[in-house]
Amino acid sequence: MPKLPKPFPDEPPPGPFQKSFWKSPLRGPWLTSILGSALLPLIIICALTGFLSHVAYYPELGDNSITGSGGISFDLYFFDWPSSPAWLYAFTQGLHIISGLAAIPILLAKLWSVMPKFFEWPPARSVAHALDRLSLALLVGGSIFVFFTGVLNIQLWYPFGFSFIPAHYYGAFIFLAALGLHLVGKIPVARKAYREKGVVKPLRADLAHTQPESPEEGTSAPEAPGMPTISRRGLLGVVGAGSLGLALMAVGQVVGGPFRNLALLSPRGRGFGSGANEFQINRTAMEAAIKPVSTTSTWRLTLDGGVAAVELSREELLAMDQYTESLPIACVEGWSTTQDWTGVRLSDLAALAGIEGAAEVTVQSLEEGGTFNQATLADSQVANERSLLALTVNGEDLSLDHGFPARVIVPALPGVHCTKWVSSMTFTEV
Amino acid sequence: MEKFRSTYGKGPLHLIAVIASFAIATYAFFEIAAGSAPVNFAIWFIAAIVAHDMLAFPLYSVLGVIAGKTIGPRPAAPAGLTAINFVRVPALLSGFAFIVWFPIILGFSEPEVIRSTGLDTGPFLGRWLLLTGVLFLASGLLYALQLRKLRRART
Repeated sequence: MPKLPKPFPDEPPPGPFQKSFWKSPLRGPWLTSILGSALLPLIIICALTGFLSHVAYYPELGDNSITGSGGISFDLYFFDWPSSPAWLYAFTQGLHIISGLAAIPILLAKLWSVMPKFFEWPPARSVAHALDRLSLALLVGGSIFVFFTGVLNIQLWYPFGFSFIPAHYYGAFIFLAALGLHLVGKIPVARKAYREKGVVKPLRADLAHTQPESPEEGTSAPEAPGMPTISRRGLLGVVGAGSLGLALMAVGQVVGGPFRNLALLSPRGRGFGSGANEFQINRTAMEAAIKPVSTTSTWRLTLDGGVAAVELSREELLAMDQYTESLPIACVEGWSTTQDWTGVRLSDLAALAGIEGAAEVTVQSLEEGGTFNQATLADSQVANERSLLALTVNGEDLSLDHGFPARVIVPALPGVHCTKWVSSMTFTEV
Repeated sequence: MEKFRSTYGKGPLHLIAVIASFAIATYAFFEIAAGSAPVNFAIWFIAAIVAHDMLAFPLYSVLGVIAGKTIGPRPAAPAGLTAINFVRVPALLSGFAFIVWFPIILGFSEPEVIRSTGLDTGPFLGRWLLLTGVLFLASGLLYALQLRKLRRART
């Protein structure tokens, strides 16, 4: 076989491309493997709950889909999202945010542990090696991109000029595709490191007994290690504490109640007063540009889809059978708050509209624009006895910010699909 | 097979895995390109790598080296007590909180937060500073206690 010309000189350029540049005696395959082993379950939980959240939005119904606008229109939904238990979405989406935040310190530590590999010389030894490195760019870029966009979204900061939801969702595909390839190549490396050093044995060494890993070719173990200033268990301890701390702060806004104070740095960690309507607001009436005039006594709820449209005033709704349910609003941002809602059953409204069998419903808000000024609910959600069109909360009329004159509240439904300021409901028999 | 290996660099299974991985990634990019701003997406994707590998990593490495040179393993300190870790650990923990929550700490999303939640971002800078203060205070106390214990053991 003819020899290919060498595209790179043998001698690496100065700086980080020189192996002697990297001093930390902690770096090596064992450290990277243990960080990877801690990271992987968190990423799996985060990815699975992320895809579950996608399913929970029922993207196949009405205009619910917010990820594939004119794309290839392939969508992942394997099953119908249930509307029981009521806390299901609060739980899965809480896990999504908790696992995602907890993964960040470990991800950063893992990136630190492999930094010498990013400055490998020569940059490409073979076609396979070049492809591996290209895939690593997707892995590093994908992981930071997905975590960072998620972190920005829960703080309501959108400096990027693209739509968050599809970018975060399909960005995860890129990240996970690169992660799959990475695992194929790296699981044997981790197994070798564990076989040689033991899984937990290096954690027993204190600072005085912390030894560098052997500088084998192609690993991030240093050729010229400096003196250690922290043990491996010390490093893992700080990273673990950071991870646990971020997780605890996120737990606070999922569990709520007195634990909400734990969510020290989250916009949903701030308490409100003690009134009936004093709890977390996802979008204010101001943000939704709701005109108070449209919510006064002239307001009518239109029920459509039956033989003829039915119009109901708020008084007429209040004269119907009222039911009280303790249900959470559970946001995709990973916070939730459980309140006592009172109103009429969606199934009663369907019957009133003249619907006899199972039916989906498209709920329209008074809000004129916005991605979530309408939502379509599945027939199982309409049929659930706990699904309400709420008129009051905790014994008082809904405030304008919480959806006055009426809002939808459905068990285990993502918060933004519990439409506020409802103006009409269109039933479609299935 | 040997010819494939020597030309390509690895076995054929590797190539199959690479094709599968890149195919899914390319599909996802097309979905994004169809719905949102693909150029912005690509810029932010690459910026993510640059921000970590060429900004964050060198920055915290240099800070680490400076801290190591200034504080160092002091010869005066008794063996077994590494002063730098009592700075490094609270700094890292405070840093983890900052790297996740900096937009709200610095109030970057103030208008959106007010319009969405009805509350402002006022308390968050103070809360993060308090957290940082508590971490450093605890670390300092721990250092003083350890130092005393070691000095007593020595005399």
